Amino acid sequence: METEQALAPHRGVPRIPDGADAGPPRRVPERIGAFLTVLTERPVSLYAAAVLRIGYGLLYLVFLLREFPHRDEIWGPGSPWTPELARQLFDQTGWASILTLSDSRPYFETCYALALVTSALFLLGWRTRVVSVLFAVVVASFHARAIFMTDGGDNLILLMAIYLTLTACGRRWSLDARRTRRRASAGKGKSNSADSGADDLRHQLAMSRRTLTAVLHNCGMFVIAAQVCFLYGSAGLYKVQGGSWGNGTALHYVLNLDLFRPWPELSLLADEHDVLIAVACYLTVLVQVAFPFVLFGRLKYPVLTVLLGMHLGIAVLMGLPLFSGAMIIADAAFLPDRFYRALGQRLRPVGRWAPVGEAEATARGGAALVPPQPTQSSQ
Amino acid sequence: MREARMESPGGDVLGGIETADVDEPDQSRDRGDDRGDDRRGGRTTHPRQGLSKPPPVLLKAGTSAAVALCLATALVHVLLVFLHVAPPNPLSRQYSRQVNAWVFPLFEQNWRLFAPDPESVNRQISARTMHTTQDGKVRVSGWFDLSGVDDSAVRHDVFPSHTAQNMLRRAWSSYLETHGGDDRPRSERALMMQKYLTDIAADRITDHGGGTFESVQLRVITVPIAAPAEGPGPGSSAAAPKSVETRYLPWWKVTSHGN
Repeated sequence: METEQALAPHRGVPRIPDGADAGPPRRVPERIGAFLTVLTERPVSLYAAAVLRIGYGLLYLVFLLREFPHRDEIWGPGSPWTPELARQLFDQTGWASILTLSDSRPYFETCYALALVTSALFLLGWRTRVVSVLFAVVVASFHARAIFMTDGGDNLILLMAIYLTLTACGRRWSLDARRTRRRASAGKGKSNSADSGADDLRHQLAMSRRTLTAVLHNCGMFVIAAQVCFLYGSAGLYKVQGGSWGNGTALHYVLNLDLFRPWPELSLLADEHDVLIAVACYLTVLVQVAFPFVLFGRLKYPVLTVLLGMHLGIAVLMGLPLFSGAMIIADAAFLPDRFYRALGQRLRPVGRWAPVGEAEATARGGAALVPPQPTQSSQ
Repeated sequence: MREARMESPGGDVLGGIETADVDEPDQSRDRGDDRGDDRRGGRTTHPRQGLSKPPPVLLKAGTSAAVALCLATALVHVLLVFLHVAPPNPLSRQYSRQVNAWVFPLFEQNWRLFAPDPESVNRQISARTMHTTQDGKVRVSGWFDLSGVDDSAVRHDVFPSHTAQNMLRRAWSSYLETHGGDDRPRSERALMMQKYLTDIAADRITDHGGGTFESVQLRVITVPIAAPAEGPGPGSSAAAPKSVETRYLPWWKVTSHGN
């Protein structure tokens, strides 16, 4: 919102509501025209994109910090998956990683520090477009280096990091947005200075850039949405083929896997309720298969709630907070912007339009408030 | 769509003002019936300085081409990822080369999470070491429980490390994939997995004060998870072993450990 208001001087007059909107029966060409207008001119779900940025930036930062004691074992030159093995595999698979460029320990520590900084800057939304590319490079590099230590959560974070480079995920809830806001309130009317040819051309280039940014963003969000649908759809449909999901005992086996049982007492307690286990099995499959089909109606809210509960359960019972976190953030992409706007207003009732002198405090408050949002927002 | 419309009431005429007078085939197709409105919008308002000229045709065409390219890429990407994720079918078989070329390595994915059936076994992987002393005596150590290190690391940890949950587990499953039932490596990948497993075992034993050794041997005990008290067994009963199985792997030379 802020960004758009800030850009308003460049944009001309408010839209005149077109007649096509008023009449209920719209012809196909009109629909296509309206679709193309939205596609090329209006980046959709900017708040959801921001939530994805904040969520995955934070998640990766926490992950890197959590593995701090094991960083050398996972990504470093001292890993049992030696740099030599990694390079050998890259030759076969076509992967690449900044981490295998050198085997020296200081180089690795530098890369690790760079990854921490990149994740933090991405989370804060500082120079987001450039930093998002850096973030994708970091995530891909770390993923490729330790490819045999990754799981579904890492895989999803990698895909999202790549897709997010396409989106305008820094337009909301970011340092970039704050800068734009300040610049707008500081220097108004700077743009209508001269009507020289160069200015004209620059303006048109800016228009082209805006169109491309919007298209790229919308395509990125579409790909993200499709990706999450494929994830759930295939997870569900592959489960349907398994007998244990059908007879309602699958979760019994899951609860008894030693590596995914951080709280054995809790797992045992859950395992005792076989009816509950069966119900949870069916619900899991049902919700996963249904996911792609409920997204276009109100039914998506209960389904997203069930998924949130499911992922919280997985996070605690199975000790997979990274995986669950990645899934919860992906689900949050499907909540509408009006939800996030309302949330933002509730979380930050004052200070949004604070004068520049107070902005430092506002920013700090904002930074402290922003991280928990992905989790809260999905409720 | 409706939401976005509410969000930015002023977002659209930018296209209209500049393009109202350009007669490009692309334009008339793209804008469809919105054109009339946009034209009206452009006339009823005062075009600001610098905005009155239409954009260069080249720029316009370039932008349109880029838009089309973005759309096409997104659609093709989604289609190829779908074919990659879906079970093998005639379409994905026919286009497997294209799918693989696009998807690997960056977009590789597998969402068979606990599917079709979750694992119904726990694996206890242990290792022992062999050391030949200078006077030619061979000393073999006792078994060291590698999985036990993981299990105790996972226990009562809110955020277990990947080194505990994934390292040994995935190393062993990849070894199984590349070797199958016997322990003769048939591919370069199989050799790599053998080296990886050796390294993991050697590192862990060294970390726990294993002394000097030249080779390691692994032992994998597969313990089936009991079926629920009164319930049926695991779905694919053929795949699930009914009793404890123990597999001894050959002795593997270790390169630079404990020296």
